[in-house]
Amino acid sequence: MTRVAITDVAARGPYRAGTAPAEEPLASQRARKMMSGAAYLAACALAELVGKLAPSAAERAELGYFLGVGGSAGALDDVTALLDASFVDGAFSLPRFGDRGLAACNPLLAFQLMNNFTMCHGAILESLGGPNGALFSRGAGTIAALGEAHHAVRSGACARAIAGGADVATHPVTLAELARDGHLGRGLVPADGAALVALAASTGRDDVVLDGCAHASGRGRALVEALNDAFARALRAATSSSADTRDAAPTWAREDLDSVGHIALSAWGPPAAEALRAYAAARFPFATLVDVSTRGETLAGGTAFALIAAVELLRSPSLEVVRSARPARAVVLSLGVDGDPGVILLSRGGAA
Amino acid sequence: MTAVITGVGAVSAFGVGARALFDGLAEGRSGISRIRSFDASTFPTHVAGEVPVPHVETGWLGDALGNPAIADELGAAGALRDRKIAWGLIAAREAWTHARCDEGERNAALVLALGLEQALLEDFSGIYEPGRIAWEREHGEGVRFRTPVDLTARAVHTLLGLHGPTTVNASACAAGALAVAHAASLIERGAEDIVVCGAADSMINPLGLGGMCRLGAPSPRDELDACRPFDRRRDGLVIGEGAAVFVVEHETRARARGARVLARVVGWGSTQDGYRATAPRPDGAAARVAMERAIARAARAGVAATSIGYINAHGTGTPLNDPAECRAIHGAFGAHAVHVAVSSIKGAVGHLMAAAGALELAASLLAFERDVLPGTANHQERDPECDVDVIGETPRAARVDALLSSSFGFGGQNASVVLGRPA
Repeated sequence: MTRVAITDVAARGPYRAGTAPAEEPLASQRARKMMSGAAYLAACALAELVGKLAPSAAERAELGYFLGVGGSAGALDDVTALLDASFVDGAFSLPRFGDRGLAACNPLLAFQLMNNFTMCHGAILESLGGPNGALFSRGAGTIAALGEAHHAVRSGACARAIAGGADVATHPVTLAELARDGHLGRGLVPADGAALVALAASTGRDDVVLDGCAHASGRGRALVEALNDAFARALRAATSSSADTRDAAPTWAREDLDSVGHIALSAWGPPAAEALRAYAAARFPFATLVDVSTRGETLAGGTAFALIAAVELLRSPSLEVVRSARPARAVVLSLGVDGDPGVILLSRGGAA
Repeated sequence: MTAVITGVGAVSAFGVGARALFDGLAEGRSGISRIRSFDASTFPTHVAGEVPVPHVETGWLGDALGNPAIADELGAAGALRDRKIAWGLIAAREAWTHARCDEGERNAALVLALGLEQALLEDFSGIYEPGRIAWEREHGEGVRFRTPVDLTARAVHTLLGLHGPTTVNASACAAGALAVAHAASLIERGAEDIVVCGAADSMINPLGLGGMCRLGAPSPRDELDACRPFDRRRDGLVIGEGAAVFVVEHETRARARGARVLARVVGWGSTQDGYRATAPRPDGAAARVAMERAIARAARAGVAATSIGYINAHGTGTPLNDPAECRAIHGAFGAHAVHVAVSSIKGAVGHLMAAAGALELAASLLAFERDVLPGTANHQERDPECDVDVIGETPRAARVDALLSSSFGFGGQNASVVLGRPA
């Protein structure tokens, strides 16, 4: 039976505006010039995580990497230079842009703008070669990335995989969008960050196991209905089999939700967080709860930060689960800016 | 549980509809034209695989979708400045109708590959000052700066009235193929019963085209035959735009509801080069492994490598990609490589970036639908470094039981998908 464990974690942030530490040196400073802020944070977290895994060259070539990524976030110096050369009498001039604006910006600006480079820059620096995917995320996409990584390990497509999310919510264009859509007015605190977890086949009862995860559509639905759908899909993911999955034994049943001891949640801003907390209090009245939203909203990164918080809860030394026949269970609840909820099911201990 | 394709929709340089794509390729035509959607006169290149609709008007889109309300809403929000939104919606509507989907299919999940946001440079006029951008100024309601990455997906979700989850793959030029692979994987592992999947993209806009020119990716020749895949004289790509969307469901479900199966999705695989941001691995080693993974999975589904008779190549027509891809083909197929016909449709429709893999899978259905393998527009003199059986400009009549389509993304993401002829 292949169960997928979360073996290591690494993160940078969340950094609210003006709180980021001095930049870390990367393996290639030339590469840094091509990176967006999100790509840089993801590369730093990835370097730490790969360092913990210490893979051989052959293992790097097989290591999977699935990342929830946000919108483009080119360096403002380049955007300003581009506009400086393209404006005539206070208005953007298309002919001038083609003639001079293009020449004024970094030739590799496209590599800052392309969303997948949030993942690829780090993968290049670490020479990763396994199955992969960059999934756009406002929260739920990171669940999809985690689900793909989970299946990649579970099905044997790769022995180990890294998954998570990275984003920079403090980028001016993103801030403008968050302001325009009313999120800042409702108390959302934007932040930058990257959070990653490493997955591998579980080898012991002490592992924190990723049992399943899923997201659901929140459009045109009440939150409870959407969350119930996400739970149903996550349970299906935890119990589904496939032609190339080496097990079909269910790891969660619906009644196991009654024994959830820990909730970690990530939601965009206070109203959404309040709604999730209310849901959690009603559904899991005896569970401890951690809300990572209070540390700042990192959009594509938020769900991954909540996942790390849940892993830490399950790893708590005070948790006497290993000798028990029943596993300790935790749930991550995610509600992204797009309103799509996500659920991650975790456990530790119990039957081997 | 084998995933099968039961519906397809496409928008390309050949026009609106999968039939326009099939006809154009079967007749060996090219859809490359002078750019008409914006004034590119001062840009380094003026040609593209542009959908022959110079400007997306709200009324036109509403008619094309049979849903004026959603077109009006998008038009009022200024979203139709981003052409990929229209292409994605039209292709999704066609696929849904083609598969004869109805209320029973609305629980479908949506997996769509989309390119990056379109930067709306004119929107900066209100806050631009020489040497700085005055972000502190209040931004007007009509100011967007960029279109949201996932707007197309959200609009498709609404258009089709779906209830399932939405996933947006943002893996650059590999995204379209990865979206189809993701959909097939969800079905195969029992997570979903039916998935609407595919891709839409358009970089035929000032920053999209300009950014690619700044990278030096497009051919420097400003001619309609600028993109010449696998040709000795190749010197770069041509940007394209469009969309391809599929309905993918598990075979039992499709048969039960009487849906016509267009193809079986039997294999897929992905890798990363982990090499350089600016160039693919010259030895094609990671691309080869992606093909090998797809071939191995297909073999487990009962489709042997030797039954693969056609490869729809990534074939960008760039100096670096094409020989590396041919090395990968030889590595993955071994002795069988010389028996596999290879073509690239990028000379005819351009490089659709995030949508390339999806449109090329749609184009590959021509092999099953009409027993015709698409040709390689503008390919006249094969590069000795591209030592594979390249189909030239004339499409080839042939019956193949299985085919492979590959897509390789900027940043080093590689994806291959194997389709099998329906039983």
